[in-house]
Amino acid sequence: MLEKFLERSTDWLYGYELSRETGLKSGTLYPILMRLEKYRLLEACWVATEDGVPPRHTYRLTPNGLELARAKLAEARPRSMVRQPAFSSG
Amino acid sequence: MMLESHLRQAATVLLEYAIRLAPSDTREWGRAMEGELNHVEGQWAATMWALGGASVLVKHALASFLIPGRGGQDMVPDGGLFAKSASLRKAAIVIGGACALAALLFFAAPPFRQAFQVALRPWFHLYQVAPRNSQPEIEALAKRAEMRHDPEGLAFCAVRLQDPRASARLAEEAARLDPNLLWVYAVVAMRNPGLSETGPWVEKLERWDPQNALLHLITAESIERAHFRRGVWSPPTQEQERAWQSTMAAAFQSPKFDDYLDRVAQINRRVVPRYGFYDPYEVESRVWIDLPNHAFQNSERFAKSLLHTGADLEARGDRKGGRDEYWTVARFGQLLDSQGRTGLEHWMGTSLQAMAYRQLQASCQKEGNQSEAALFAYLAAKFDAVEGVHPGFPGESAFGPDISRRNAAVVEISGLMILIFSGLVLVATSILIAGSLRSARPAAQRAKPVATLVVLTSAVGLLFSSITLYLTYRPYWYIVQSAILSGDRVQTIDLRYFLNDFPMLPGISPRGYVTLLNALVYSGSPSFLFYVWTGVTLLAVSGLALILLRHLLGRPHAHAP
Repeated sequence: MLEKFLERSTDWLYGYELSRETGLKSGTLYPILMRLEKYRLLEACWVATEDGVPPRHTYRLTPNGLELARAKLAEARPRSMVRQPAFSSG
Repeated sequence: MMLESHLRQAATVLLEYAIRLAPSDTREWGRAMEGELNHVEGQWAATMWALGGASVLVKHALASFLIPGRGGQDMVPDGGLFAKSASLRKAAIVIGGACALAALLFFAAPPFRQAFQVALRPWFHLYQVAPRNSQPEIEALAKRAEMRHDPEGLAFCAVRLQDPRASARLAEEAARLDPNLLWVYAVVAMRNPGLSETGPWVEKLERWDPQNALLHLITAESIERAHFRRGVWSPPTQEQERAWQSTMAAAFQSPKFDDYLDRVAQINRRVVPRYGFYDPYEVESRVWIDLPNHAFQNSERFAKSLLHTGADLEARGDRKGGRDEYWTVARFGQLLDSQGRTGLEHWMGTSLQAMAYRQLQASCQKEGNQSEAALFAYLAAKFDAVEGVHPGFPGESAFGPDISRRNAAVVEISGLMILIFSGLVLVATSILIAGSLRSARPAAQRAKPVATLVVLTSAVGLLFSSITLYLTYRPYWYIVQSAILSGDRVQTIDLRYFLNDFPMLPGISPRGYVTLLNALVYSGSPSFLFYVWTGVTLLAVSGLALILLRHLLGRPHAHAP
């Protein structure tokens, strides 16, 4: 999900859009969004859509959020290169 | 399509309700999920979206309710900001703890404690083939009564102990402490006719309750028993036979019959609550032990001899003498029927009357008195048809054997589930505590989410099993209470069905009577079942240990970014 936010760091993304692109279900996606917003790593705003359709919530990372996302991705990449043996005692 | 559309509609309504339930700081997120719902493509996808959103909101509502002052959003996940789902570990532990506590509180209720004991009783027989025996409990109660110098407690035990010597000793002690309990001698002597104390006891009882036929029946039985020495029957001497005949004649002439069971019931009412001796098996078994069977064998034998004598007198032309003999039998039958308290006493009373009226009918017919013959025929048929039904004796089953069998199964399984869930709660709690220590091994830390889930589900299961056990056993608790405290045994037939109908694992029955593995057990060692079930238990424990070991020594999971 962080990758998606980083790819489109200036865009406001919809929840359903994020869900489709990351494959996360609403029950998994929203708790993460809520936590990010609580720690001011994500900003959210309502946008009006066509008449008669309720407004939609949109999201993008704050500067702090972007910084954290970059750090997390940098940290994750080398580790994902290392493959664990199928069985180990450790 | 229709179904999918309805499902989506239902899920949307659910999401709306969840928004209303959610804490105020989370509602905006709920509306955000609802707003997106209009753009989700496909009915199934929209349904799943709404359900997922509703579950998030409900979790927050629950967390907010259980940990007031801390909103759902304040719950920082152990897996970090990017954990797959919000950690509700604390909420789960609080719910689990509350359920476990509620389940524990059930133990404060006496019906539940009794239900739990009854539920676990059949499982003891996995390792014990012998039938259940409550004598050790009664012996322990007798010791407590002796220490308290409690005559009623001693009398209570004296009439229940199967050891004649111990029973006699307690009866002596009870009567010494309280002379009003002299009747205990009669009950103990009735149940243990071979006691050497019977003679002196009956002398005392005859002074205390001179007109009671029961005392003559006890004496007659002790004379009868004298023929049996070390299990060998020897023919009675003429003197013994005369003594027996005169004693039985005195019994048949007595104007009163009191088996003292009302006094036994009074003692039960006072002693059971005093010592907390609410044993359903004992209540159920009392139905049989209360009956002084052998007294009626003597009565029947003597009645037949009187009827025979009467017939002889009639044959010799002494019609009046003959009828007097018949009337003696009829009167004694009426005495037992009207003053007896047990089903057998009533049955014996009615059958003696039927025998006597049949003879009287025959006598009237011979005399040519058809109207009186018809009356006696009517009475004989009427008393022949009477079953031994009495308020003090088990009547018709109210629940029926099928319901009792089902209830027994529910109680048995609930008791077992309580044990299993308690064990799981304990193990999972230990893992949680171990995982929370600073020095905890990574394996223990990894097991925390699973352990939390186990604590929650097991505690809910524990509570559910406890509620089921309590509600299912409750009617039987009332039957036990009412049998002990008011002597009302009408429904003890249901209790008997229930206690005897516990479904069992193969080879095990609730009262220790072997069923399916009958041949194996009796052809081999009685400890066969012990080996079978020890093997099963060891296999299960080994399997569990292997699973735990595999989990704890398994490869570490890479932490998600």
